Amino acid sequence: MTKLHRVGSNLLYGLLPLAAALFLGGAAFSAEVKIGYLGLKDDPRYHPDLVYTRIEIAPGGNPIDGATMGVEEMKVVSDAVDQQVVLDRQEATDAASLVAKLDEMVKAGEQFVILDLPAELVDQVAGQTREWPVTLLNATAPEDYLRQRCYPNLLHTAASDRMLSDAMVQLLRTRNWTKVLMLVGAEPRDKAMAAAFRASAERQRFNIVGEREFTLATDPANRERNNSLLITGNADYDVVFVADHQGEFSRYLPYDTQLPRLVVGSTGLVAAEWQWSWDRDGSTQVTSRFETLTNGRRMTGQDWSTWIAAKAIVTAYAKARSGEYQKTADYIRGNRLKIDGAKGVQLNFRPWDGQMRFPIVLATHNAVIAEAPLEGFLHQTNVLDTLGTDEPEHKCQ
Amino acid sequence: MRFTRRTFVATATALLAASVVPRAVAKGTGMIFVSTEKGNEVVVLDQSLAVVKRIATSRRPRDMHFNAAKELLYVACGDDDAIDVIDVATLEVVDSIPTGPSPEVFAFSPDEKVIYVSNEEDSRLEAIDMETRVSIQDIPTGAEPEGVLVMPDGKTAYVTSEVADMVHVVDTTTGAVTKNILVGTRPRRFILTPDGTELWVSCELSSEIYIIDTATNEIKGDSLIFVPPGFREEDVTPVGMAVTRDGSKILLSLGRANHVVIIDGKTHDVLQYVLVGKRAWSVDLSSDESKAYVANGLSDDITVIDMASMKPIQSVPVGRVPHSVVIDD
Repeated sequence: MTKLHRVGSNLLYGLLPLAAALFLGGAAFSAEVKIGYLGLKDDPRYHPDLVYTRIEIAPGGNPIDGATMGVEEMKVVSDAVDQQVVLDRQEATDAASLVAKLDEMVKAGEQFVILDLPAELVDQVAGQTREWPVTLLNATAPEDYLRQRCYPNLLHTAASDRMLSDAMVQLLRTRNWTKVLMLVGAEPRDKAMAAAFRASAERQRFNIVGEREFTLATDPANRERNNSLLITGNADYDVVFVADHQGEFSRYLPYDTQLPRLVVGSTGLVAAEWQWSWDRDGSTQVTSRFETLTNGRRMTGQDWSTWIAAKAIVTAYAKARSGEYQKTADYIRGNRLKIDGAKGVQLNFRPWDGQMRFPIVLATHNAVIAEAPLEGFLHQTNVLDTLGTDEPEHKCQ
Repeated sequence: MRFTRRTFVATATALLAASVVPRAVAKGTGMIFVSTEKGNEVVVLDQSLAVVKRIATSRRPRDMHFNAAKELLYVACGDDDAIDVIDVATLEVVDSIPTGPSPEVFAFSPDEKVIYVSNEEDSRLEAIDMETRVSIQDIPTGAEPEGVLVMPDGKTAYVTSEVADMVHVVDTTTGAVTKNILVGTRPRRFILTPDGTELWVSCELSSEIYIIDTATNEIKGDSLIFVPPGFREEDVTPVGMAVTRDGSKILLSLGRANHVVIIDGKTHDVLQYVLVGKRAWSVDLSSDESKAYVANGLSDDITVIDMASMKPIQSVPVGRVPHSVVIDD
């Protein structure tokens, strides 16, 4: 299967002889390094979600800022090895135009491109460019299925849904809150989050006492699904897990459950790559630099992921110090990469699915309650691999 | 304690008076001073490890150094952009030196006329004239500068950048960075071997100790990694270091591995792994080198190590997030 793909893709790439000549021929090392950043024009994920009466329930802000900060703070390193690194931000509107844009970027000499795209576009772009001499870093799509595609040119610095849910389940396990009522929205993102949570819960032998789909209405005929007290009734549970990507249902759920229980998932306690109130391991300096750069915007998990992607690329260039794409590409994937993500541990990429391994914060609106992996969750090789799909359970699809 | 301009004048006058009038030299009180980052105080313990006093300081006290006479203790206070000055005899804060944003680690010039301080938030090594309190050099570094060391001849200063993974070599006459030395991930602190030939750098996130040859400013040999039994390499996050006067023993705190390793200063062989508290950072030796004191950032205590047996004797609670320990003996 893999072989067939390769032949097909090589043929496809044969249609782009100019780029092939430029990049497969091992061009001399240039001191100018261009890092790509490919986003979706007017990405709805970064709209400051305005709900009824224009109340803002999402922070807004584009994570390009994280990548910008990553390149800026590594400038002193790039200077030391005589490399001038620039970040080239490009946007397009759909898969075809994104691939066309990426082709231009690769032809202009870009070997590493940060993708800031929703999952289905990451899938299409990476799938159509899998044999190109470029490494794509998915920085903002958490969907687990992207990690199972096994595209050779795709790495991930966004936390996978499974990493986030494993982190949450570790905390619930230590508290012994293992009877869980799941409330799930109808959106594909909600279902993806719920699926990851079920897998994590199963690994820790939780008891899912019920999984109910909520709706956003007040229709009395459907009140079992739209009324907080009713949808949390008729069950005995330690905690409620809510998967609600939009946030409009979940923000009303805490303090409105039938039993006096905590709510986790999309509200209450939330698992993420980053939270601005985290104060360990140099994280305050990172948050503070970010706020200076953005005139006070608070750093989100997506900002962290674009930041760490940029840092990984600049570090690989500085340490590999080679004009050959393959050498830098090998360096970024290798275990000599030891990136500091202000999380107190060294970070690098998992060889089996290209996912960066890193700790996850579990945070309320203004405090980090725990950082996963929690103490006591052990692993035969690396405790960070208790978060996310581990090598033995990983399958390419 | 936060200093307004007015209290500044008052305390500066008090200090001036104190330095003019001869007084009992506060040498060898045997007191142990511990800065606590979240406690906003310097905790003073006597030799029996009883708390003698908690001295309120400016916010987030971190690195500490005595002047050569050990009459004054300087404390970098990160959240108030100041270095507080404690009178060792009276255990009072008598002065406060304004710095750039978020001072973390500092060192004096050999003549004590200049203080070199890393300002974590604005990525600078700042040189402050002790007499005029004026910033005389402001040297750009990589982000999050931390460890600072001034060579005994005063001509060269070294500073780490935690983000840039490098050591900057600074010519103190011109204030220019003359060399950047790439080391491991997140370089933190320095020690200089007593003969002045080796500068050791702890690299927290790659678990390594780098040794720089001070004659050439090149990295000397392979980096050192010390992994206590039962731990993995990635658990080892070295930060604090201390060296005996004869250079025979070097102590390295291993951070999240909750141990200090004592090694042979020449062969680099492990002499002993000593179990201490959680996230062991700064280490200091008593002047007779019979004891070592370790600040444990995540268990809010310090551990005392007996150097003869190389065993921990006792851990004592001190306050929230101990950062540094220094001993007046």
